[in-house]
Amino acid sequence: MITLLELKKVGLLGRDGARLMDVSIKFHAGQTVALLGPSGAGKSSLLAIANGSITPSSGQVSWRGIPLRKRSKRDRRSIGTLWQDLHLVEEMTVLQNVNCGALGRRSLMWALANLLFPVDSVACRRCLKQAGLPEELMHRPVSALSGGQRQRVALARLFRQQPELVLADEPLSSLDPALVDELLNTLLRQSPSHSADTLPSSTVICLHRPDLIHRFDRVIGLKQGQVVLDAPAADVSQEQLHDLYQRRPVPPPPGSVQ
Amino acid sequence: MKRLWLRPSPALLCLLPGLALVPVLWVVVSGLHSGGLESWVGFLAAALQPSTDPLLLQSLRQGVQVTLATALVGWGLSTLIGLLIGVISSDVVWWSHRLPTWPAACLRRLFALPRAVHELLWGLLLLQVVGLHPWVAVAAITIPYAALVGRVIRDQLDSLDRRPLKALLAGGSSAPAALLTSLGPPLQPVLMSYGGYRLECALRSATLLGVFGLGGIGTELQLTLQSLRFNEFWTGLWLLIGLSVGLEQGLALWRRQQHRRPCAWGGVFGIGVIVLACLAGGHWLNQLLGDSAMPLQWMLPPWPEPGAVQAAAGELPWLTLLQQTLELTLLAAGIAIALPPLCLLLVPGGLAKRLLLAAWTLIRVLPPPLTLLMLLLANVPSLALAALALGLQNAGVMGRLLIEALDQQSQQPLKAIEATGAGARQAWLVGALSPQSRSYLAYGAYRTDVILRETVVVGLVGGTGLGWMLIESLSSFHWAAVLLLIGCFAVLTLVGEAISDALRQRWLRTPEEASTG
Repeated sequence: MITLLELKKVGLLGRDGARLMDVSIKFHAGQTVALLGPSGAGKSSLLAIANGSITPSSGQVSWRGIPLRKRSKRDRRSIGTLWQDLHLVEEMTVLQNVNCGALGRRSLMWALANLLFPVDSVACRRCLKQAGLPEELMHRPVSALSGGQRQRVALARLFRQQPELVLADEPLSSLDPALVDELLNTLLRQSPSHSADTLPSSTVICLHRPDLIHRFDRVIGLKQGQVVLDAPAADVSQEQLHDLYQRRPVPPPPGSVQ
Repeated sequence: MKRLWLRPSPALLCLLPGLALVPVLWVVVSGLHSGGLESWVGFLAAALQPSTDPLLLQSLRQGVQVTLATALVGWGLSTLIGLLIGVISSDVVWWSHRLPTWPAACLRRLFALPRAVHELLWGLLLLQVVGLHPWVAVAAITIPYAALVGRVIRDQLDSLDRRPLKALLAGGSSAPAALLTSLGPPLQPVLMSYGGYRLECALRSATLLGVFGLGGIGTELQLTLQSLRFNEFWTGLWLLIGLSVGLEQGLALWRRQQHRRPCAWGGVFGIGVIVLACLAGGHWLNQLLGDSAMPLQWMLPPWPEPGAVQAAAGELPWLTLLQQTLELTLLAAGIAIALPPLCLLLVPGGLAKRLLLAAWTLIRVLPPPLTLLMLLLANVPSLALAALALGLQNAGVMGRLLIEALDQQSQQPLKAIEATGAGARQAWLVGALSPQSRSYLAYGAYRTDVILRETVVVGLVGGTGLGWMLIESLSSFHWAAVLLLIGCFAVLTLVGEAISDALRQRWLRTPEEASTG
């Protein structure tokens, strides 16, 4: 099994104490992972460390065996993130936002051209189709779209990036049940209509829905900044899930700094 | 063939005016002469060896105090008068008193005239009328600034939500009490923030008036630069930079405190501070310049005969003057708007940002005529050189504003773009500049309006445009030409103001509103 991303004894200190303590996880190619845990467990911090947005206070993060900090910024395009707040650029059109996913492979001149006229429309159309957004909206500003449409723009941007690993931070929180199903199908490559060239091989989704774990290969449970559950989805019991969301304190790992 | 569909996004529109740099730099580079190179080396070397001559220091100390006192009094008086102008010319005030609003519209048009004439022109006109008197600079700042403050207050008052006011009036409150209660609190933070900004502007104007002989540190800087005493020039410049940076930082701290702990009595306190500044500044100015108690030597210029006005209208090369003024404005505005984002795009790093901030502070503090004189050390006079000097100073103002706005905005889009593997420049362009571009362009439209007014300042040194002709006519007491040129300048400025207002409103609309027209 090829390991894409590895977190080794990762810790993160916040203003009010440790947000992550001694977290060690390996994310493998071709695997879908559900990241569960109560609010404040450290799920978003873990994803931010994994995509290189924040540097851990201790430990090491490596991509394909090479520490993330030693890799160039351009290499970060292998990891795609679907942010909780989407982080779209409101001043730009749908097409320009989708093209942002390709910035890691393109030059500054291309970025300037993207701000001047529609570039790579064919590729954008393909990504929009994958994300389920009508191409008529391509030239509309994203601020004119509904919540669900904006989510699809963020998804299309992700497809345009063509990452090997996707980290999705609570992407289902503001969606209706039909959209939840559709989005999961897309992210987890469980829809036959999706072509393999733009979809990621591995996905980590942080969510608050234990009822959906049967759709994933593996479940990781975080509680008070520590990994308390890491098992194949099929082996996770209801008791384990119940314990994860219980307000019981978790003993700190041996030798960790509180 | 498929048509190329050009739809520049606002972020690109912030950079495109930079095309103005191409002709300007072409002319400036072609006009360079080696004879001035030695002077430039000497000028730059003197920055590290400013003169410490006690006599000079004493003279500069006096100059700085005069400039500061002039700025304080001019600022205080203009804010108080502007507040009054804003209130009486706003529709909502007349409407709340159940009166027709047309008098407010008439007053707005009336106060547009003093606003359209630059403070330097007011200074030179008043100099002709009352002679060289310390309070001429104060009046020159007060007249246009009061009209400007009035306009901002009126705009704010008329754009506020009227529903609370309607509710209070319906409940039987008197109009003044209802206005004060419903519109006072939302107006207060704007007044405080804008008032602080005007003080910085007043300091720049007081320095500029000094460059044209109205006293203070500006006069000292002008004399030392013209006589090529660079070490003495740098002593004055460092002092001025210290003063400006101190004032900017002090005001920023005050604004932060106001933002963190808003005070219900802040407005009353603010007006108290302004009154105190007027009184203290006036007393200070009188103490510094003992002859200020001298009676004013009123000498009103003769009103020109209709025949003389007609003759002057035929004599003046209107087309050339208008063309030069508009060229100067557009080139300078292009440089002012595009240079800050272009610099940040080329070097988006943290240290480079700090260095740029320091460079912009320096060029912002230096009045454009002095920048132009510095450039003239190694170049021949031209419109392009004047545009560069004016553009650079305004780029200093725009640059500071852009960095402040970028620091205050959400960093999330930038973080998201960086996470896609985009390079630092691409990420800055899309994730930092794009979200800020509309408000930056809106401010750029306002700045263009200011630049049009300021062409008069560099026109004299560069020998170009309406401003140059106006000052020439003033010096030769050609009152018919002065009258016509002031009228022309006022019309041009008011048209420019209307265009910049329309552009500003366009840019401040949401992207959704803009796309639906």
